[in-house]
Amino acid sequence: MNPAQEIQQNPCFHCGEPVPKGSPYRIVYGGESKQACCRGCEAVAQTIIDSGNADYYRLRTDLPKTPEAALEELKNLQLYDLAEVQTSFVKSDGEMREASLILEGIVCAACVWLNERHLHQLPGVLAADINFSTRRARVRWDESRIRLSDILKSIQDIGYHAYPFDTSRQEELFRKERETAIRRLAIAGLGMMQVMMYAVPVYLAREGTMARDIEALMRFASMILTTPVVFYSAWPFFQGAWRDLKLRRAGMDVPVALGVGAAYAASVYGSFIGSEEVYFDSVTMFVFFLLTGRFLEMSARKRSAEAAESLVKLIPAAALRLPGYPADRREETVAAVKLAPGEHVMVGPGESFPADGAVAEGRSSVDESLLTGESHPVAKHPGSPVIGGTLNLESPLVVKVEKVGSDTVLSGIVRLLDRALAEKPRLAQLADRVAAWFVLALLLVAGAVAALWYAVDPSRAFWITVSVLVVSCPCALSLATPAALTAALGRLTRMGLLSTRGHALETLAHATDFVFDKTGTLTTGEFRLLDVVVERGDRGQALALARALEQGATHPVAMALRDSEEGPALAADELRYLPGKGVEGRVSGASYRLGAPEFVAAQPPAGRFPGGVTVVGLADDAGVLAWFGLGDAPREQARQLVAELQELGVTLHLFSGDRAENVAALAADLGIADARGAMLPEDKLAAVRALQQGGAIVAMTGDGVNDAPVLAQAQVSIAVDQGAEAAQAAADMVLLSSEIGRLADGVRMARRTQTVIRQNLSWSVLYNALAIPAAALGYVTPWLAGIGMSLSSLLVVLNAMRLSGLNRS
Amino acid sequence: MEATYNYKVVRQFAIMTVVWGIVGMLVGVILSAQLIWPALTEALGPLAPYLSYGRIRPLHTNAVIFAFGGCALFATSLFIVQRTCQVRLLSDALASFVFWGWQLIIVLAAVSLPLGVTTGKEYAELEWPIDLLITVVWVAYAVLFIGTVIIRKTQHIYVANWFFGAYIITIAILHLVNSAELPWILGGGVAWWKSYSAYAGVHDAMVQWWYGHNAVGFFLTTAFLGMMYYFVPKQAGRPIFSYRLSIVHFWALNFIYMWAGPHHLLYTALPDWAQSLGMVFSLMLIAPSWGGMMNGIMTLSGAWHKLRTDPILKFLITALSFYGMSTFEGPMMSVKTVNALSHYTEWTIGHVHSGALGWVAMISIGSLYYLIPRLFGREEMYSTRLINVHFWWSTIGVVLYIAALWIAGVAQGLMWRATNADGTLTYSFAQSVNAMYPFYTIRLIGGTMFFAGMLLMAYNVWKTVAAGKAVNDARIPQAVAA
Amino acid sequence: MDILYLLIPLSLVFVAAIAGVFLWAVRSGQFEDMEGPAHRILMDDDLEPGPRDTGGRIKSDNNVD
Repeated sequence: MNPAQEIQQNPCFHCGEPVPKGSPYRIVYGGESKQACCRGCEAVAQTIIDSGNADYYRLRTDLPKTPEAALEELKNLQLYDLAEVQTSFVKSDGEMREASLILEGIVCAACVWLNERHLHQLPGVLAADINFSTRRARVRWDESRIRLSDILKSIQDIGYHAYPFDTSRQEELFRKERETAIRRLAIAGLGMMQVMMYAVPVYLAREGTMARDIEALMRFASMILTTPVVFYSAWPFFQGAWRDLKLRRAGMDVPVALGVGAAYAASVYGSFIGSEEVYFDSVTMFVFFLLTGRFLEMSARKRSAEAAESLVKLIPAAALRLPGYPADRREETVAAVKLAPGEHVMVGPGESFPADGAVAEGRSSVDESLLTGESHPVAKHPGSPVIGGTLNLESPLVVKVEKVGSDTVLSGIVRLLDRALAEKPRLAQLADRVAAWFVLALLLVAGAVAALWYAVDPSRAFWITVSVLVVSCPCALSLATPAALTAALGRLTRMGLLSTRGHALETLAHATDFVFDKTGTLTTGEFRLLDVVVERGDRGQALALARALEQGATHPVAMALRDSEEGPALAADELRYLPGKGVEGRVSGASYRLGAPEFVAAQPPAGRFPGGVTVVGLADDAGVLAWFGLGDAPREQARQLVAELQELGVTLHLFSGDRAENVAALAADLGIADARGAMLPEDKLAAVRALQQGGAIVAMTGDGVNDAPVLAQAQVSIAVDQGAEAAQAAADMVLLSSEIGRLADGVRMARRTQTVIRQNLSWSVLYNALAIPAAALGYVTPWLAGIGMSLSSLLVVLNAMRLSGLNRS
Repeated sequence: MEATYNYKVVRQFAIMTVVWGIVGMLVGVILSAQLIWPALTEALGPLAPYLSYGRIRPLHTNAVIFAFGGCALFATSLFIVQRTCQVRLLSDALASFVFWGWQLIIVLAAVSLPLGVTTGKEYAELEWPIDLLITVVWVAYAVLFIGTVIIRKTQHIYVANWFFGAYIITIAILHLVNSAELPWILGGGVAWWKSYSAYAGVHDAMVQWWYGHNAVGFFLTTAFLGMMYYFVPKQAGRPIFSYRLSIVHFWALNFIYMWAGPHHLLYTALPDWAQSLGMVFSLMLIAPSWGGMMNGIMTLSGAWHKLRTDPILKFLITALSFYGMSTFEGPMMSVKTVNALSHYTEWTIGHVHSGALGWVAMISIGSLYYLIPRLFGREEMYSTRLINVHFWWSTIGVVLYIAALWIAGVAQGLMWRATNADGTLTYSFAQSVNAMYPFYTIRLIGGTMFFAGMLLMAYNVWKTVAAGKAVNDARIPQAVAA
Repeated sequence: MDILYLLIPLSLVFVAAIAGVFLWAVRSGQFEDMEGPAHRILMDDDLEPGPRDTGGRIKSDNNVD
């Protein structure tokens, strides 16, 4: 065949990216030669095929990422073989080792298949299981036959990244908690179903159709099955109630424990004396449904915590230290936790920074997306700060360590998240207090009911009291409200909008006014060429000349002018920079000047350039050739954010310290009515106060560091685009990325959360208002009470869980 | 030596599934013809008694359930357990023993039932020597299957194996409890093969229908769901719709099934509350049953177009549809008021066949069409067109069959209960029999179509196998290189 | 219904056995990954002889020991 024509359109056989013209890389698959886009793809694909796993290409349903070409730079994997490094994540038993790995690059089930098969083929690997849901692998190997670094290397050979992680933190706890919960749930579920089998016939039997001894048999069988349900499955309720009592509180576990305990004890008694009043079925069902509610709530909590957890795992376990830098470039491997500020480390491409620091040597770009949500790589050169946990992409960097361990940005963010999760939102606090009163009142009502019925009909008093205890449902208060808040917080964290204070979400929901405290929030912060006015000659030539004159300069105007690509490439010489004025020089023998209007000795056309735009003129000896208007452009998302917030009924303000005309221009462009420029921090504070006196609830965005007083004055403050300084931010919320559009999502999410909580509370009021009096009057059997309460609690929890967006995929 | 799967036993059972399917359904066709022409087999003279309706009716049920269905389950379960556990069967000798033992049981049944040797318990007619043999073979099968699961090379046990495991254990218990019987010879009887049940009266009925119902539940439902959970995803090339649902469905289905047995004994000497219990749990069964059906059918979501061109998938999905229909119909029929009309009528036979032909046979046929080319080293069956023809014949056959018997059953029930103003019966029993003729005829046509489909399948299988070269067992992925 | 004196204790034994099996399944991590197994079975016929496998050469040392 003659593939010459087709090849350019053919996608890479491995990764599906377009193959560059004349690519020499080939993959032999199924006896045919296929095109590859790069050396990385070629190497990875050939490894896959040569190890007998060519079927991967038949099985896969999604395309993998293009593997990084710098595969040979991975010698640092040997760090993971060091005993010192391994202590934190490897379990060992003689020569046997076991570690949990995070796998990156898994896009479809075929990836799992491929990795498992590939690992199994390595001599010395004893077991390898990959969990597709969590993208985690558990690998067991024989240390005398293979090293961990070889395993990691071989995973990289097929185009994936694996690194070990410490399972001792919360994840393991959650796994245990979940396992226990499933066990309790299963025992309760099995008990419930089987007890129902025994109970239903008794209900169905018409008078006299079931022999007394058979009925007794059924009861005792039920009792045997209910016992583990009460003492194992329902144990957390008793524990909770006991804790509440010791602290002299009344939590929702108290009536539950009382109801379950009393119903069980009385049923046991009833079984022995042969009474009709036996409610084992109600007890098991009640426990089962309550546990189901708790289980769902726990899952929501786990998902929220996962967001924080995944950040912690970004820090690599080991680092390459340069003890003699800069004199001596000898490298030594140390555990990352042993690094101290002031030391230098070498970070290769494809590796994560082990600590916060500044680049000492080298240029590269860094992927900070996992931390900030920022999708573009960030350029780094000597002096640039780097954040521990972010990924170095292009070339090796020597980094001077500045902060380690708990002082790092990453630790700070994790602390903030932990704080927000630990700090009970006002609403939840309120709910707790109300729940406590609710339970107290309930206990009083139950006591009164017991006393009254004892006077009226002593035989019914006990079970009616139990019904009252069981039927009441404070779940909307003490279970569903926290669940709703956690679910919402988790969802927002995944979007890159952290809440650092418990109250942030509910205040944001009520915010009537949004104040942006600087123009920088809404603009890109970079000078850009906005407009060109040609006085003489043509536009391309003018831009080419400007580029040539600014070729060496680094100031924003020069950078913006150099961004244009119009016109021919020209070279300038005899360049002379006149600070504050401009630059002059010669191009092709003619002399030119580029700079402020005074410098080119002319005035730009009146009214052509709006206020806030910096105007630069280009002139030759005969006069002005062209005018360039440069300025700070609004962000793409800003316009949309403004529109969305206004649609949500929020009034927008822009209080900036910037020049008034700049502010006015930006505000006019975006459609913000109230824009004030040249404001000092005191002015901003006063303006916010004024708004608040008018009844406004103010949400304020800022950088979180410089404007602490103003931010503190606003009811809710949001630090924007402060990935690096997020930890120091005093704000209630932190937007980690520069995607300001997320703010509107945040408001929407906050409002949805409020709606859900209100729905739950309304339902709760309605339900309890009907159910408790009905039970007190004796219309509700314990059986019905159990169903009513458990369904009500399931309903509110499920409603709350809608917020976590179950259909995330 | 390179490790391979044991495909030999799978091949043996797969081929015998087709053979016994033809035999069992042929007997069914003869039976339905006898209902139209009662003197049909009289012409055979001295042979006639052995082919009388009462003798070959249990032969039909045993042949289709335990010979056809059983072989299909052995073939698929032993195939699936090896593939999903990535390990060869525990023992080749045991596998051979299970195959030949089961064939011996079938042959013994085929001889003893026409001779009139029977315990008289439905679906458990075989006499004590055969019962003992069944016990031994079944234990061997349990050891083979569960042992293979235990020595598996994968960490996870795929859900299909759970279904098969539950079926194997439950059938063992059911068989042991229900077949508890005393050989007459121990009491000085003259016929050495004859035995009597260990239970008496209504107790025997209760145990028998606890068995009978769960035989349907675990043999004909749970086990075939195991088949479904492997072959539907495989043939569709898509993962099961919800793996989580399949697990929940497994536990719920098996738990509730156990207790629905008394619905076979509505309006009998069984205590009223026990009858009601059977009804309540039968109704509850709808939820897990439909959970399984939806899970199977929704597996195709996003790939519905495959149904247009793939007749194997048509078999599998149609089987699921019939499963859904009959698991809805069944609980309805266990409602006492409905049962008052339907019990002892042809409706019950129609219901059974919508399950047996529509669900059990069609899911087995679909699975075999997937399996046979793979077992005999072929890319696909000899003729896909013939599979398509088979599909349409079967589907039309089943629909004719169940529609005819549904109408017949309702008519029968109404005629039996119709009374005149003075309280006498409107119709004599013979009149109701007479009214059945047209429906019996349609049933014979439907059944014959289904049977003819099996002949087509046999031809297709024959051509596939004959053209296949020496068959190599598939190599097992090397899970552990240690 | 004396038979119930057999059936009901028997059912208790069953429930205990089922609970035991279920708890074993939880402990052995059978329910940890609720997605992977569904995909995994689709990828088990990799080593069957067939024309599509010709691209892959099996290394001789794959099946050592």
